[in-house]
Amino acid sequence: MTEAHPVAATRMKKALARGSKLIVADPRYIKLAELADLYLPLRVGTDVALLLGMAHVIVRENLIDHKFVAERTTGIEEYIEHVKQFTPEWASSITGVPAKDIESAAIMYGSADKASIYYTLGITEHICGVDNVQSLSNLALMTGHLGREGCGINPLRGQNNIQGAGDAGAAPSDYPGYQNVGKPENKEKFEKLYGRKLDAERGITKVTALDRCGDGIHAMLIDGENTLVSDPDREHTEHALKQLDHLVVIDIFLTETAEMADVVLPATAWGETDGTLVNTERRVQRVRAAVTPVGEAKPDWEILSMLANAMSIPGFEYDSPKEIFNELCSVTTIYAGIDWDMIDDGQYQWPVPYKGHPGTPRLHEDGFISGKGIFKVIGYRDPAEVVDDEYPVWLTTGRRLQTYHTRTQTGRSAGIEYLAPEEYLEVHPENVQKWGLTDGGWAKVTSRRGEVKIKVKATPRSPKGTVFASFSFAETPVNMLTGSGYDPNTHTAELKVCTVRVEPM
Amino acid sequence: MTMQDIRELPLIDLGVKKTRSICGYCGVGCAVDILSKDNRIIGIQPAMDGPANLGALCVKGQFAYDYVHHPDRLKKPLVRREDGKLHETTWEEAIQVAADGFHKVMKTYGREAIYGVASGRTPTEADYLMQKIYPRGLRHSQHR
Repeated sequence: MTEAHPVAATRMKKALARGSKLIVADPRYIKLAELADLYLPLRVGTDVALLLGMAHVIVRENLIDHKFVAERTTGIEEYIEHVKQFTPEWASSITGVPAKDIESAAIMYGSADKASIYYTLGITEHICGVDNVQSLSNLALMTGHLGREGCGINPLRGQNNIQGAGDAGAAPSDYPGYQNVGKPENKEKFEKLYGRKLDAERGITKVTALDRCGDGIHAMLIDGENTLVSDPDREHTEHALKQLDHLVVIDIFLTETAEMADVVLPATAWGETDGTLVNTERRVQRVRAAVTPVGEAKPDWEILSMLANAMSIPGFEYDSPKEIFNELCSVTTIYAGIDWDMIDDGQYQWPVPYKGHPGTPRLHEDGFISGKGIFKVIGYRDPAEVVDDEYPVWLTTGRRLQTYHTRTQTGRSAGIEYLAPEEYLEVHPENVQKWGLTDGGWAKVTSRRGEVKIKVKATPRSPKGTVFASFSFAETPVNMLTGSGYDPNTHTAELKVCTVRVEPM
Repeated sequence: MTMQDIRELPLIDLGVKKTRSICGYCGVGCAVDILSKDNRIIGIQPAMDGPANLGALCVKGQFAYDYVHHPDRLKKPLVRREDGKLHETTWEEAIQVAADGFHKVMKTYGREAIYGVASGRTPTEADYLMQKIYPRGLRHSQHR
């Protein structure tokens, strides 16, 4: 959190200064672990086991919020039966975390009046990402840590507008405002609004689309994403994009992905663009242009409108982002109470269902949108790859404070280039010695999918047997190694776990 | 005088423009003031009244802005010509080539053969239009 969401971490540090307690569960001894009251160094990919062990203790110690469970949830009986078998000792045998620490964590979380959960991609980028999230949800439901100030399950969004993209309907399953594609009334609504026939089926995820390049998918339009470097298993991605008959990329630089395109359309950058962004708190905020665009660059909305018009798709006669945002507000319920002129100070967190509604800083205060909170019976399964003789080391990937994603932007900022000029592999000092590596020397890292040459940094932040690197540097394409498996529900790649061999060079 | 008082002092008029915006990096959504002069961004200040950041800002938000004026920025549309290389062209031609390519693929393989990838980095308006172009085909918002 101090690396990927530093300012949110400052808010957490302030809470600690006021006396809040902190439990950190992370395979790596991250900065936040130094501040924790309790640190749980779990083996990569074993979150479900840890959370099952905690649930077992919460049941055993009778820390269940019976009133909350009775009024707002369903399925507790089956869930209690299920977790009885998963003792802290069992969880310890899978996770490597001492059983007594799992007990302490469960008691600390379960007995607190208010407790909240924060997570990022360490939870979701697994083959069991959905299981991980639902395991967290089970803990929050059984202890009633939801719908009140200082409670809740809080995923921290990594990109400035991943929330807004989802809100606007950029996921295969939903029209704007999370209106399900599968419901006939939604299809009818959007056919009427857009003046053309729409398909009733849900779309496909990018992982599926890349798999089908050349076999079902023959052209792509990619807006503002360096897919080639950011996606897992780079060789596979490159091969897929090469199968396309037609690739159009909209971006601000000639990224590795743009270099493969048939047409590259130059977009305006941050600081040159007017529009809206939605942050991780569902806060709708305005970005504003401070300078005029470089060269002939145009804002994305204008490029997409021009393209739609050239493809004779009706309904793209826009003159401003204001018109587009207001149209989005008018077709959803979550934004129904706001418009472009009301969001100058970022005071609204959706849902804002009608004009005059103050917005919703906290979800689930009076109930869950879907009715009762459902306990999910979930079992532990190993990651897609497990260490063996050939690939005996766990690799986990992530981000660093100074760099952002594939460095399209931060790699072109002088001060950042000075602070973080290259990537390195974090290896426990004992492993450095044992594997014949040298601190600052080069290593070859090999997985079932590829190999990468990378500098070694000896650090006790990495546990023994697990190494870490970010995927930010094109010169050190760590995503050559990843891509061992995908969550079957979300198709999110297991970027947090794969197995590798580390050799000196 | 507190830091906040100092930050709120009127700038001596050196032609510096202050534009309230939101940082473009992670999902925290820190409010910032972009300082610009002669149509160049010359600095970023955290907004003390930013609802998400309350005056805080990280190293990326504070300093990683000079990419906006980097010489590598794409300034004109590019199309791949017969020599296999990308060449600068007009917007008119680039949009036509882009649209023709999609038309051709749709004609040969059907509407579902084209796929759009929306961005978690662009403003919401771009994502909305992307899904409007591909109300089914898309669709990915990179889960980060």
